[in-house]
Amino acid sequence: MTVAENLFESLRLELRRGSLTLAVLAQLRQEHYGYTLRKDLAVRGLEIDESTLYPLLRRLETQGLLVSQWREEDKRNKRFYRLSPEGEQILARLLEEWQAINASINRIFEQPQS
Amino acid sequence: MELLDRYLQAVRKYLPARRQDDIIAELRANMESQIEDKESELGRTLTQGEMEDLLRKMGSPVIVASRYQPQQYLIGPAIFPLYLYVLRVVVLWALIVYSIVIVVVLPLTSPDHSDIAGSLLHTPSILINVAAWVTLVFVALEFFMVRYPEKFAPFAGLTDNWNPSSLPPLEKVEVSGRKPRSFTQAVAEVVVGFLLMAWLLLIPRHPFLLMGPGVIVLRVAPYQLVPVWWKFYWWIVGLNALQLAWKTIDLARGQWQQPAPIRQIIFKAVGVIPIALLLSVPDHIYVVFKNPSADQLRYGHNLDVINNSVHLGFSVICAIVVVQVAWEIGHMVWHTYRRREEAAR
Repeated sequence: MTVAENLFESLRLELRRGSLTLAVLAQLRQEHYGYTLRKDLAVRGLEIDESTLYPLLRRLETQGLLVSQWREEDKRNKRFYRLSPEGEQILARLLEEWQAINASINRIFEQPQS
Repeated sequence: MELLDRYLQAVRKYLPARRQDDIIAELRANMESQIEDKESELGRTLTQGEMEDLLRKMGSPVIVASRYQPQQYLIGPAIFPLYLYVLRVVVLWALIVYSIVIVVVLPLTSPDHSDIAGSLLHTPSILINVAAWVTLVFVALEFFMVRYPEKFAPFAGLTDNWNPSSLPPLEKVEVSGRKPRSFTQAVAEVVVGFLLMAWLLLIPRHPFLLMGPGVIVLRVAPYQLVPVWWKFYWWIVGLNALQLAWKTIDLARGQWQQPAPIRQIIFKAVGVIPIALLLSVPDHIYVVFKNPSADQLRYGHNLDVINNSVHLGFSVICAIVVVQVAWEIGHMVWHTYRRREEAAR
């Protein structure tokens, strides 16, 4: 990997990190377990590695943004996650912030360059 | 499924004991669902190669397990800049204090200069020790700040409580296109300055350091130096000490980048004083006989040649330094004039 590619990859990961959290919180307005959540996000164009998503779910739960419970489905015990009430509030604020950033960036790109 | 069991067993080993069962159970459920999906898509069980690909894509057991660990730093980004600053200042001051001990205290207290050499060799380990202690203090600070944020709240806000008026004044503009001195260069100058000082202070006790094997000639020769050389020597020591102190203060105050040119000129000009002191010796006598009655007849002519040569040599040095000082003063005045002219336009 060249220095430029390395730099791009590091910036891309930095850019994605916050967005992934937002996407996961948004998707967990409906209950999911890890694998179906990953599939749903992929269907909507957001691929996440298993080794990133599953620990992220744990971290968000520790932070009180998600709640989880073990339940049997298709003869297998699975851990289902959904947004907590606190998570809902945080999601709403994060979404607002993200939309503001997005709108600002669009305005910056739309302005004529001298 | 044996490969999956082996994989999960490997991941388990790197997980925190308290959460191992829970995490492994969840990982197993997710991965088995994924494998089932894949198998129903293909209409057959996965081959060994396909299973290996799937696990490879999941990531190595160490990496997967590490992502379940809480994110932690030995020294986090919030205090890392402060750590670097404190480390630099403390190591610098440790170097200065230790150098003073080697240069001033040891020569006065120990007749054996091998002690001084030994102490010099110990310098890196002393500095590494100091750096290690500073690092440990900051590691502890990070540890407590993360666990007890309420008790360390004032410290965490350290970077917010500052007064813009206390910022250092603007640094001087680059003089005649010279590059600003780097921190390394400035530290090297101070360290070399202390070593030079140690060397100077050791010369009276160990003239070998100045003359090498020639010291034997000095012992057997019929000549000896007159006391004015001591005055000359202490002037040189004093000027070096002053310059060293100035550089050290600059370094400690963070003003090493552009030493004031006027200061360098002053040092050169003051450097003329010890030379003038030698030139003002009556009858240009710098060397005399150890035993005048016995040696005057035999070496009298040589003595005159030596004294005249020393006088001539120092006259030339004095002339060179005076011309150099005059040139630098002219250069500085010219630059100041040019800058004012440019500013006026």
